Amino acid sequence: MIRVGVDVGGTFTDIILERSGAGQKHSVVVTKVASTPHDQSEGVVEGILNVCRIAGVDPSRIDAVLHGTTVATNLVIERGGAKVGMITTRGFRDIVHMGRHKRPHNFSLQFDVPWQSKPLVRRRDRLVVTERILPPDGRIEVPLEEDEVKEAAELFAKRGMDAVIIAFLFSFLNSEHEVRAKEIVRSVLPDTYVCCSSDVVNTIREYERFSSTAMNAYIGPKTSAYLRRLEERLRGAGVGGTIRVMQSNGGITTVEQASDLPIGLLMSGPAGGVIGGRWTGDSCKKANIITIDIGGTSADIGVIQDSELRIKNSRDTEVGQLPVLVPMIDIDAIGAGGGSIAYIDPGGAFRVGPRSAGAVPGPACYGKGGAEPTVTDAQIVLGRLDPEQFLGGDIEIDASLSEEAIRRHIAEPLGLSLHDAALGILTIVNNNMALAINSNSMAKGVDPRDFTLMGFGGAGPLHAVSLAEAIHAKDIISPVQPGITAATGLLVTDIQYDYTHPLLMVLNDAGEAEYKVMNDALVSLTDQANRQLDADGVPLGARRFQRVAECRYVGQGFELRANVPADPMDAGTIQAVIESFHEEHKKIYGHAFRDQACELITLRLVAVAGVETLSLPELETGGRQDPPEALLYTRQTVFDDGSAQETPRYQRGKLLADDRISGPAIIIQHNSTTVVPPGYGALVMRYGDILISRN
Amino acid sequence: MRQEVDPITLQVIGGALHSIAEQMGTVLYRMSYSSIIRESQDLGAGLFDRDYNTLCESDSTPMHIGSLPGYLRGIEKSVTLDQWQPGDVVIHNHPYYGASHSPDIAIVMPVFFEEELVGFSANTAHHIDIGAATPGLIMDIPDVYAEGMLLNGIKLFEEGKRNDTMWKYIRDNTRVPGQVMNDLEAQVASAELGVMRFQQLMKKYGKDTVLSATRQLMNYTESMLRREISKIPDGEYVAEGFLDDDGRTRGVTLPIKVTVRVTGDEVEVDLTGSSPQVPTAYNVPFEGSTKVACFFAFRALLLDTYTHSEYIPQNEGSFRPVKVTAPPGCIFNPIAPAAAEARFAQIQRVVDLIIKALAPVLPDKCTAGNAAVLSFAAYSGVRDSGDYWVFLEVNEAAMGGRPQSDGPDTIEELMRNTRNNPLEDLGMHLPLICDRYEIRDDAVPGAGRFRGGAGVVKSQRYLTDGYMTHEADRHEDVPWGVFGGKPGAGGKVEIRNIFSGESSMEPAKFSGRRTRAGDVVSYFSPCGGGFGNPLERDPSKVLDDVLDGFITPECARQDYGVALQVVDDGYGWQVDTKGTKDLRSSMASR
Repeated sequence: MIRVGVDVGGTFTDIILERSGAGQKHSVVVTKVASTPHDQSEGVVEGILNVCRIAGVDPSRIDAVLHGTTVATNLVIERGGAKVGMITTRGFRDIVHMGRHKRPHNFSLQFDVPWQSKPLVRRRDRLVVTERILPPDGRIEVPLEEDEVKEAAELFAKRGMDAVIIAFLFSFLNSEHEVRAKEIVRSVLPDTYVCCSSDVVNTIREYERFSSTAMNAYIGPKTSAYLRRLEERLRGAGVGGTIRVMQSNGGITTVEQASDLPIGLLMSGPAGGVIGGRWTGDSCKKANIITIDIGGTSADIGVIQDSELRIKNSRDTEVGQLPVLVPMIDIDAIGAGGGSIAYIDPGGAFRVGPRSAGAVPGPACYGKGGAEPTVTDAQIVLGRLDPEQFLGGDIEIDASLSEEAIRRHIAEPLGLSLHDAALGILTIVNNNMALAINSNSMAKGVDPRDFTLMGFGGAGPLHAVSLAEAIHAKDIISPVQPGITAATGLLVTDIQYDYTHPLLMVLNDAGEAEYKVMNDALVSLTDQANRQLDADGVPLGARRFQRVAECRYVGQGFELRANVPADPMDAGTIQAVIESFHEEHKKIYGHAFRDQACELITLRLVAVAGVETLSLPELETGGRQDPPEALLYTRQTVFDDGSAQETPRYQRGKLLADDRISGPAIIIQHNSTTVVPPGYGALVMRYGDILISRN
Repeated sequence: MRQEVDPITLQVIGGALHSIAEQMGTVLYRMSYSSIIRESQDLGAGLFDRDYNTLCESDSTPMHIGSLPGYLRGIEKSVTLDQWQPGDVVIHNHPYYGASHSPDIAIVMPVFFEEELVGFSANTAHHIDIGAATPGLIMDIPDVYAEGMLLNGIKLFEEGKRNDTMWKYIRDNTRVPGQVMNDLEAQVASAELGVMRFQQLMKKYGKDTVLSATRQLMNYTESMLRREISKIPDGEYVAEGFLDDDGRTRGVTLPIKVTVRVTGDEVEVDLTGSSPQVPTAYNVPFEGSTKVACFFAFRALLLDTYTHSEYIPQNEGSFRPVKVTAPPGCIFNPIAPAAAEARFAQIQRVVDLIIKALAPVLPDKCTAGNAAVLSFAAYSGVRDSGDYWVFLEVNEAAMGGRPQSDGPDTIEELMRNTRNNPLEDLGMHLPLICDRYEIRDDAVPGAGRFRGGAGVVKSQRYLTDGYMTHEADRHEDVPWGVFGGKPGAGGKVEIRNIFSGESSMEPAKFSGRRTRAGDVVSYFSPCGGGFGNPLERDPSKVLDDVLDGFITPECARQDYGVALQVVDDGYGWQVDTKGTKDLRSSMASR
């Protein structure tokens, strides 16, 4: 079995290849190539051929390619998507223009309103037709005027739209009009990308549903073209095997399904990191983990609780300030990374980020014209990053430029020593990250004291211990390959599909009739899932179904996820759902209204099919203390308490299982550096991950 | 003399305070029941020191930001500093003791550290019904006592124990106890979170360090604002406008006069010359509303968060350089027992007039006339069960054109920033159905190099008989254009019954109106004024506006001097470049 994971980032495309199976030598090979932003598939193919060469594998023997992509996200961020036409209910032409009518800034007069200035569908391309469906039962008050739909479709044909959406009010209660309108549009525009809102997100709330549908169509044509092109290029290069794509919900899917619902790919990029983090945690026997993936300009934060990924509340799922009503792993991004710039603002305050030096000009030490000091420069000045070891020496670094930048821009204006100024940069950037972790965790009921902090991405292990101290995490993990954790995640996740059925009812009042409605809905969702899994060729035994009731207290506006037992609905199982909802409410908000009735809004079925998982070769056991065999040299390093200490550097590749290293120490590998401060000890785990704890 | 906190710790504590306030706000709106809090986020939350300085506030609705110190000073008249005990919770809404207006109920908890009172954790939230003369909102009432329950510095909890008599009293005196009581619980949970997080912060960094950091952060914000004020030439800047009426006496407009005096790095807003107080609820509480509006205006104008890359902490420092004067007995500083619940449209106009007054000296920071209004609609009725339903809806409006961009359409402007209610969610729960919600097509946004924003039309249909109170303004005094821009459009209200076909145009304010099943209430918001000469607008943008239906081809010609020609591309129009050039030069010479 040969599987390849490919994670495309802004600068690099990371590739991991695993060869396993009976009678074969088990091996894992990793590499990276420069990303090709104009067409990510070029870099993907080059990387795969590259990794095959290193591994000595014929590309045709690959069984599966698993891919994390930012193609869909970039289309939204850069507004490079399709020309979309919309057919909607008369009287409601501007739902996507008004949004939730809240402006993005409180204290501003000059603010931008992205959904108005850069709309997914322009007003001229939003056409209204006569039809009316009424709540609360979805009855038809005014039938669909089919001629108007046909005229609209013909106009769109003349206008040359790339995609057409149909979005009617209350279609979550009754999709008849949308489905009929879609047929009519299809008959006029057989080759155009067409979707209706009840296909894309069949849930209540018109703005979020309409906008999500518009986004699906906006990214649809180009994303599916990209996936087709990728497939062709891979085949053209002789690469064999199935192609699967990472989704926002943390599961993988087929190219066909991803092309139909590209809106599910908007977190395809960062999802791999969190999943890789969970997998590393499992192999280190850690079930509760906060992950932070630190790159050059931003950091992605995720939480794994009881070895489960957390899914974001649907009220918070957005991309480019536009709502996206599909399940997404709970990942927060903040503008803080190695390239974040430190400066003194006009009012005299000491700031770090979110402005970044990026890859060009990059930190001052790159000598490419960046004069302002960055977080990386602070690491250099403090002796935590050794210039000659930077990316294994692939990039030339001038430490004196780091010193000069910090001295001139920070130390001198504030009257601080060089070291204090550099420490200040790290303190502030770490604090920004710690606050972001807190708002992703503590604010949502997670107590970091029970969690392990895992830092990855090139810069993660440099910051991990300081961050763990700031948030009072229990201990710290530096994964075996911090630079490719996200690619690793691609090889260890499952196939996953989400299906929803809107169903508003007060669970406390439910009787036999309601049980039947719920059971029928659950059966129909399961049938849908099985049809898809049949098509994917997933054996029955590998299928798992998670049943979720999205509920709120009657009168509230926010739903939370309650678990639905596997048994059919009856008085007992309904009670279990209600209880699960109370518990979730208490966990999230610290309070449950136990005397209040619980209302079901949406039933959701999550269908999961397990795939092969990655196994890394175990290290030989060393069991040594501060192994001299791995020692490179010793150098002065300044730690967070301000002390400068002679600190040994160890070569990570020479460490063996159960080796222990006492801080202060620096552990170096090609694309990452792990800091073990004084008062901490590092333990090498059996696959090479490093667990760091307080003495 | 207190030691300065080092710049690094200062940033760390500043960030922590910001995050505490955000979390307090989040808990409050996520846990609450009424749509005005949970969807509209008509709330504020923050931490305060024992001198009632704002240390941090959640970034929710501007109207609430800056109002809490007034509440705290008002509460001190009932609960002096030495009367606070750990675990106390005070409830307060008295408009003559600092409240913003009576429906905005504050929940305040003291923060003790090492057995000493160091400050307060507090929040405000708009409650949908406090037992006033008419359901939800009020307009034509005689005095403050008709506003409903007046809660003046009352301990709702004493040392952690709830005052059940008081709790019952509140429950028995609102039309919708299910929502109001649960919203109060959410407020208490939010305040408790603030207490806990503030204590943790002091435990970690030491009380003295935290408190001196808060002082430095206030000084920082203050200095940032003073820096900007000092760039404005000293002088007196005046702008005037008028309000439609007081909600009772029709046809009698009410003048507003705003004088902005800039002296060095300080500024005074003087409202002398504005209308005397009125005999309805259409007055503005001075401490909790008038002052807050003036603070907002300068922050938004001078420390615009979109054009400033730095985060400037939300604290007392931004209030200090701004002095507000309104003579007692004026509509902006009424004398008890005048009612003062319906105050939003007036303060929106104060902000807009401050912008207008300063436009000549802040041409790159100002806007053309904004809608500067609030349409606040209270729909209500009695269900068959005998229970009330009450729904408060905030209708958006539009902004004026701006130095670099068009005024946003259909948006929450100035002092308000709530979220609308999903129509599908409302439809599932209320005997009300929305028939229309889109951009107004009966009025044109103010023409300009950057045009004004287009207003909204929203039509709600009663499915059963009910009641309605509507609070709005600006049917008469149309948003102005600046620097050669044209005026926008005024608002209007129409009620039409789908069964009888009868329809009538209504004033912006009416109270306790009995509505019938089939009544469709349509609100048309004002449109913003234009910024700069319309003849300088990029012709391709004028074409966009035609194709997008914001203006007609005739309007493109008459207002913008843009000639269009028919093209058969499915859209219908393209710019006639030569014709436009000729037309514009002939119009410019006229």
